[in-house]
Amino acid sequence: MNRFNSTVPDDEYLADSNVLFYLSDAVTQLLEHKEEYTQFGVIRYFAEYFSSVKNSNHVLFREYNYIRATPHNRASFIRVFWRCYRQIGKSGDSLSVLEYRSLLHLLCPDFPLAMVQSAARIVLMDDAIDCLMSFSDFLYALQLQFYYPEFLDSVLVIYQDLLAGKSPNTVIVPTSTSIEQLPSVAAEETDKEKQPQDGVEPSTLAQCVDALCDRFKRSHPPRSCMREVLEQTNKVSYYSFLMSLAKHETINQTIGALPSMAEFLIDPEMDQELDKLITQISVSPGSNSSGSAVGGLKEVQRRASPRRNIHHRRKMEVESDGSTEETDSSEN
Amino acid sequence: MADKEKRRSGATPPGMTEGKATKSDSDREFLSQAGVGELLRGAILKMVEARSDDPIGFLADHFCNLASASETGTAGGSDGDHLNNGPLSAGAQEQQHLNRALWHLRLTHHSQRSAFSNNVRVAYDLLNLTGPLRRSGEAPEAPDGSCTDSPTEGGGGVKGGLYTQTLQCLCSEGGVPASTSAPLLQRLHCQDHEAVPYDIFRHGVLTCAVFSDYIRQAQRLYAEVCCPDEGPASRPLCLAVLGTLKEALETSQGCEANCCDNANTKVNPCLEANVKALRYLEASAKISPDKLGQAMAGAQTRGPGGNMDAKEFENAAAELFITRVKVVS
Repeated sequence: MNRFNSTVPDDEYLADSNVLFYLSDAVTQLLEHKEEYTQFGVIRYFAEYFSSVKNSNHVLFREYNYIRATPHNRASFIRVFWRCYRQIGKSGDSLSVLEYRSLLHLLCPDFPLAMVQSAARIVLMDDAIDCLMSFSDFLYALQLQFYYPEFLDSVLVIYQDLLAGKSPNTVIVPTSTSIEQLPSVAAEETDKEKQPQDGVEPSTLAQCVDALCDRFKRSHPPRSCMREVLEQTNKVSYYSFLMSLAKHETINQTIGALPSMAEFLIDPEMDQELDKLITQISVSPGSNSSGSAVGGLKEVQRRASPRRNIHHRRKMEVESDGSTEETDSSEN
Repeated sequence: MADKEKRRSGATPPGMTEGKATKSDSDREFLSQAGVGELLRGAILKMVEARSDDPIGFLADHFCNLASASETGTAGGSDGDHLNNGPLSAGAQEQQHLNRALWHLRLTHHSQRSAFSNNVRVAYDLLNLTGPLRRSGEAPEAPDGSCTDSPTEGGGGVKGGLYTQTLQCLCSEGGVPASTSAPLLQRLHCQDHEAVPYDIFRHGVLTCAVFSDYIRQAQRLYAEVCCPDEGPASRPLCLAVLGTLKEALETSQGCEANCCDNANTKVNPCLEANVKALRYLEASAKISPDKLGQAMAGAQTRGPGGNMDAKEFENAAAELFITRVKVVS
């Protein structure tokens, strides 16, 4: 019922929608690839750009600063990651941190190792970081870590203060200044060695987290979910808290990038395309038994780079304008 | 205008150093040559006007629409061979115009009255182009999608068949089943050969838009009345609700005088009242549940009187609305 309260000023409406960010990126991209992108006209270029933003394909092969710039980009990247590598989950393989990083690098060339490690810490509860992880564990941990990194960092600071025995009242004030200069992973690890991993009182942490949410307007997991998680235990450590959040279905739905954990192997649309691709491969000799994950990636590349095969897409769009809208309504 | 500045700064990223000054100059030139500034300004204005809940989707549709408009404009409009395949392409062209007109009508909710009126005008002009008199003078739409202020008398009006088709599409897109909207369309109906003037067109379009909203609210109202796990709602309850609804509609018709104050000058008072009624309906469903509750409690004491299913409720609610729509002659 947004349309009934048109009291939001235009500036605010534009800022909330992140539209200006996308417009400026679109223009920057256009200038960098003038010849390539204008052969079908500038209007068509913008149409393609915003269609791909809408379909969440725009983050593919883009730099890290871009994919983390807006909530929609973050969710889109997680979705792309899932779609590309779902087959790994299907085959039941477990991979290491470095292997997951390589996979992520194929999608985003400068995806930082620290982010992968943080996600791995959630899965492994900060223990034996070089262990192998199943795809689903890693996927949902990465989603939490990648979608709410600023919030989680602040929670970590609060948690460490609580562990060190500072009173919660004094905790909140200093964290507000320390978010920016937050010690990265290395500093965090040295802290760990000093601290015993007992965990803290959930109710105290819940209070602090609640206060923290006030400062993070909307970029935090739903409060009710966090309260629910914290009510279930009588002693909570940072990573056990994050693990519960990562597996929380409501949070997953709030982000809206992935299907529920029970159904995360199922993607009927992609399966259909894969089947088509597999029949194509089996027809052409010499290209048998390419790994299933690679097949999936190729498939996504074909689907997702709108500007490479702009001509082809244009034809498709004329026919199937309505259908794309339909599939996308669930994502937004 | 702040957005314009931001866009400019996006076009020349702040990281650019003086060594690249020439490059940034040529970029600027390129952008102005390609008309990017105009294009984006038009898009942002349209977007702010429409206040879509999904701005990205809105922009995607907007640019796609512009692109296909300009592509068909250059491909089909100017070449001379549309004389020999005229009868064949006329139908397709008409369909294309209809689609684009519908797209314009969908852009803005009718409560954003001035924007909606603009779009109705654009749609009307588009459909008017299809008329045989205007075929040769067809011009591609302006790049920002705005309507050119050409007088609409030239086409003589939208064909009746096209008008009826537009209304049908609007209702079905609004989620109204054909059986429910049929009596309404009967009232708004024009003969296929008639030329529909703008006022009638606007009246029909607006009525259908309000009607779609009204039916959606009625469906929601029914969902409130019936408990999903207990099957259909009881008839006395529904009748009580419909009675309250009718009362609200009658009240709204009584206040035509004050609702005209804030309305645009050209707005038909009867329609404005229906818009008002929509708000009353929402109010009676949510804001004043005590009155509704009273009626429902009274109905319940009268004992069981059978059930009423969703369809029946919808039809009854639709009838309340439709009897208040005057017949187009």
